[in-house]
Amino acid sequence: MKYPIACAMATLLLGGCASFSPDGGFDTVTSATRDRLGKDTRIVRTDADVAALAGTLAPLLATPLSVDSAVQIALLNNRGLQATYQRLGVAEADLVQAGRLQNPRFGFKRSHEGSDVLVDRSLTINLVNLLTAPLATRIESRRFEQTRLQVADAALTVAADTRHAYYGALGAAQQRTYARQVSDAAEAGAELGTRMAKAGNWSTLDMAREQSFHADAITRLAMADKDVLASREKLVRLLGLDSASAFTLPDRLPDLPVAAIALKQVDQIALRERLDIQAAKLQLQATAASLNLTRSTRFVNALEIGGVRNSASGNPPETGYELSLEIPLFDWGTARVAKAEATYMQGVHQLADTAIAARSQARESYGNYRVSYDLARHYRDQVMPLRKRISDETMLRYNGMLMSVFELLADAREQSGAAHGYIGALKDFWIADSDLQAALGGRLPSAPDGEKK
Amino acid sequence: MNSRRNFLSGSVATMLGAALVTKAGAASLPEAPLQSSAATMPPLMPPNGRPYNPVVTLNGWTLPWRMKDNVKEFHLVAEPVVREVAPGMTANLWGYNGQSPGPTIEVVEGDRVRIFVTNKLPEHTSIHWHGQELPNGMDGVTGLTQPGIAPGKTFVYEFIARRPGTFMYHPHADEMVQMAMGMMGSWVTHPKNPAQHRVDRDFVFLLNAYDIEPGARVPKVSTMLDFNLWTFNSRVFPGIDPLVVRQGDRVRIRAGNLTMTNHPIHVHGHSFEVTGTDGGWVPATARWPEVTTDIAVGQMRAIEFVADAPGDWALHCHKSHHTMNAMGHNVPTMIGVDHSGVAQKINALVPDYMVMGDKGGSMGGMQMPLPENTLPMMSGDGPFGDIEMGGMFTVLKVRTGQARNDYKDPGWYKHPPGTLAREWTGPMPAADAAKAPPADVNTLDVKRGSMPGMHH
Ligand SMILES: [Cu+2]
Repeated sequence: MKYPIACAMATLLLGGCASFSPDGGFDTVTSATRDRLGKDTRIVRTDADVAALAGTLAPLLATPLSVDSAVQIALLNNRGLQATYQRLGVAEADLVQAGRLQNPRFGFKRSHEGSDVLVDRSLTINLVNLLTAPLATRIESRRFEQTRLQVADAALTVAADTRHAYYGALGAAQQRTYARQVSDAAEAGAELGTRMAKAGNWSTLDMAREQSFHADAITRLAMADKDVLASREKLVRLLGLDSASAFTLPDRLPDLPVAAIALKQVDQIALRERLDIQAAKLQLQATAASLNLTRSTRFVNALEIGGVRNSASGNPPETGYELSLEIPLFDWGTARVAKAEATYMQGVHQLADTAIAARSQARESYGNYRVSYDLARHYRDQVMPLRKRISDETMLRYNGMLMSVFELLADAREQSGAAHGYIGALKDFWIADSDLQAALGGRLPSAPDGEKK
Repeated sequence: MNSRRNFLSGSVATMLGAALVTKAGAASLPEAPLQSSAATMPPLMPPNGRPYNPVVTLNGWTLPWRMKDNVKEFHLVAEPVVREVAPGMTANLWGYNGQSPGPTIEVVEGDRVRIFVTNKLPEHTSIHWHGQELPNGMDGVTGLTQPGIAPGKTFVYEFIARRPGTFMYHPHADEMVQMAMGMMGSWVTHPKNPAQHRVDRDFVFLLNAYDIEPGARVPKVSTMLDFNLWTFNSRVFPGIDPLVVRQGDRVRIRAGNLTMTNHPIHVHGHSFEVTGTDGGWVPATARWPEVTTDIAVGQMRAIEFVADAPGDWALHCHKSHHTMNAMGHNVPTMIGVDHSGVAQKINALVPDYMVMGDKGGSMGGMQMPLPENTLPMMSGDGPFGDIEMGGMFTVLKVRTGQARNDYKDPGWYKHPPGTLAREWTGPMPAADAAKAPPADVNTLDVKRGSMPGMHH
C-alpha cells in the first residue's frame, strides 16, 4: 500500500480496494456468446493471440462457409468488435480508479514578510472523495457491469449482422445463377431469331424483339453481379478478412425448415433475454444512484479536512484543523439536483422507450419470420411445382407443334424468374430468422431444424 | 384401329325418357334408343313401313322408330355426350341419344313423321329440319315459329317427308353455342320406289368442326374460323372409318356441311358426279363429272360413282389444314434455320428439347409425348409408314372380293406386281444440280448504303 492513510480510511469505509479482475470483465461476453450463439470469442491483445487466431480461422475458411462458421469467424476476427472489447478495459480502469482515494495533497509555502520567513505546510485529503468513494465505486461498478452487457450485446449484434450478410451473399450468388439462365435463354432466342431472319423466315421486327429480350436480360445479369459483389463485400467486412477470395460459399441456401417455430409472447422473451435492455436497466440504476449522491452532497461541495501546520520563523508552529462548509446562501444546490433528477427521468423514459421498441421489434420480427416462412413455402410448394408443370406442358405442346421453340425459351426465362423469386423468398426467410434471433436476444427458444443441406 | 375393330359390333342401348315427361305423356312417348359407341353401325334394314335401301352413317347410326297409327315416331333426346373424336381423345359435346352427331333419321318419301324431342340440356333448344318442306310451325326456329324447348320439356314435331333427298337437323336456338357443341344429325328421305336412285352402298356423314384446346375437352364455342379439329361426323383421321366397297359397286356419298367454311371434298382414283344437292336430285343430263366437289356452308351434296378401281384411295377435304389435327397456328416456320450451336444452348436450359421443323413439317415418325386428350397433328399408320394426315381424311377401300353387304375393313390393299411406285436405282444424269444464287446480301447493302445519314 502506497497510501497508508488513505487506504486505511478507505478500508474502513469500503472494506477493500477495487482492483483489476483477472478476466477484465470479458466473461460476460464469452458466456453470452457461448450461451446464446454456441460460439467462442476472445480478445486479441498479443502477437501470440494473433497467431492463435490465425490457427483457429484457417480450418474454418478451408471449406465452404456455413452460417455457424461465418458467425464464429466474425466473433473472433471482426476488428470493430475487438475495438469494442477494449471498452471493457476502459470501464474497468474507471471502476478501479473510482475505488481509489485521491492522493493526499501536500502543500508547502515559504514566504517573506519583511525579514520574517513564513513557511506554510499543509497535508490535505479530499474528504468528499473519501465520503463518496463507496458511492462512486458502486456507480462505476454498475457502469462496468453495463459496459460488459453492452459489449456482449455488441458481439451478439455482430453475430446477427453476420448471419444477415451471410444469407444475403449466398442468396445473391444463387440468384445470379438464375439471372444467368434467363440471359442464356434470351441469348439462345436472340441467336435463333437472327438465324430465322437470315433464313428469310422472320422479319427484322421479330428478330429485334428477341434480341431485345436478350439485351434486357444482360442488364439484369449485370445488376445481379452488382448484388453479388456488394453482398459478398459486406460479409467480408464483418468477417474481418483481407480479401473477398479468402472464403467460399456453398452453392445454395439451406432448405426451408420443416415447420416454422411457434412462439407465444415473443415480446416477453425479448424483455427477458435482450442484453441491450439489461444494459439500459443498469444504466437507469446508475443514474438513480448518482441522483442520490447528488442529493446527499448538495451542500458538501468542497468539504475538505486538512491537517494544518503553519509555522512562522521564530514562532511556535500553528497546528489545528480547518473545515470549510459551503453556506447555502446563493446556491442551494437545487440546480444540480434538478439536473440530476431530469437526467434520471430522462433515463426512465429512455428505458421505457427501449422496452417498447424491443417488444414491438420482437413482435414485428416474429410476424415477419412467420410470413416469410409461409411465403417461401408457398414458392416451394405452389409456385415452383406450377412453374414446372407449365414447363412440362409447354414441352408437350412443343412436341405437338402447337407451340414454338421461342415459347419454350420464354418459358425457360419465366421459370428462371420464378426460381429467382423463390431464392429471394428463401433468403428473406433466413434473414427474418436471423432478425428474429437478434430481436429475441440470441438463440431462438427451439432452434429450427432446417439448417442442413 | 379401335373403331374399325368395333365395326358392326356396336349395339343399340335403349332408355326410357319417362322421367322427364308427364305420366299422361309417358304412355304415348316412344322409347329413346341410346348409342354408346362411336363406331360405324351396320345399315338399319327397315322392319316396318315402306321398304327402302338404308344408308350407312360413317361413324354413326340410324335412329330406330316405332309405327303408331301409320305414323313413324322417333324420339330424340338432346343431351350432353362424350364423343370419341379418335382413339386417344374424347370431347365433351352436346348431341342426341348418346352421340354427336345424333343418329341419322331415315324415312321414305310421303311418310308422316312424328318426332318427340326431349331437352336434357341446361338451356332451351329446338330442332330445325334443314331442307324439309313442312308447315311453318314445324320449322323449329325459336322465337319465330315456336318457343324454345325448356330444359326438361319434350316437344313434338309432326310433318310429312315430302321430297326425297339428303337433309340435316340442328338447333335453331342459341345456334352459335349449340352447333359449336355438336348438335346436329343427318336425315335421309328415301324415294317411294326403292329402285329409283338405287345404289349398292350409300354413305352419309356431316362435315363439322371443333376448336378444342389440346388438353381440354369442351369446344371453344366462340371460335369463328380458326378451328383445330376438322371432322367427318365429329371424328378425325385416323378415327374416321374407311368407306369399304366392293369393286363395281355403285357408291353414293352424301355429305352435309355444318361448319363455317366450305370443304372441297376430293376422291382419288375415280371421277364422280354430283347427283344430289340441297334442292333434290340432279337430272341425269345436268350432272357433270368431278373429282372434287366443293360443299359450301349449309349445303348438302350427294355424289355417285362406280367403284371400278381397286385399291386404297384417299378421300378428303382438299384444304390442307383440314387434313391436320390440332396444330399451332402461330408457330413460326423453321425451314432452313441453322440450329448448330443454338440447339445445345437450348438443351442446357430445356433438356428435352429436340430440333423440329428445320427441314419441314414432317416429323419422320417421331413419337413424342403430347398434352393429354389431344391427337398428333398428323398420324395414322399405313402399309408404307405414316399417313401424314389428320382431320377430314379417310380411305375409300375398293376390293374385288368384298361380299355384297360386307362393310368390314379388308386391310391394306395388295398391289399387283408392277403397279407400285418404286425407287429408281438406275444411273442418274451427270449434270450438276443448279446452284441456288447466294443470299441477296449485295442488294441489301446497296439499299442501306444509299440512305443518307445512316452509318454502319
Ligand atoms: Cu375442309
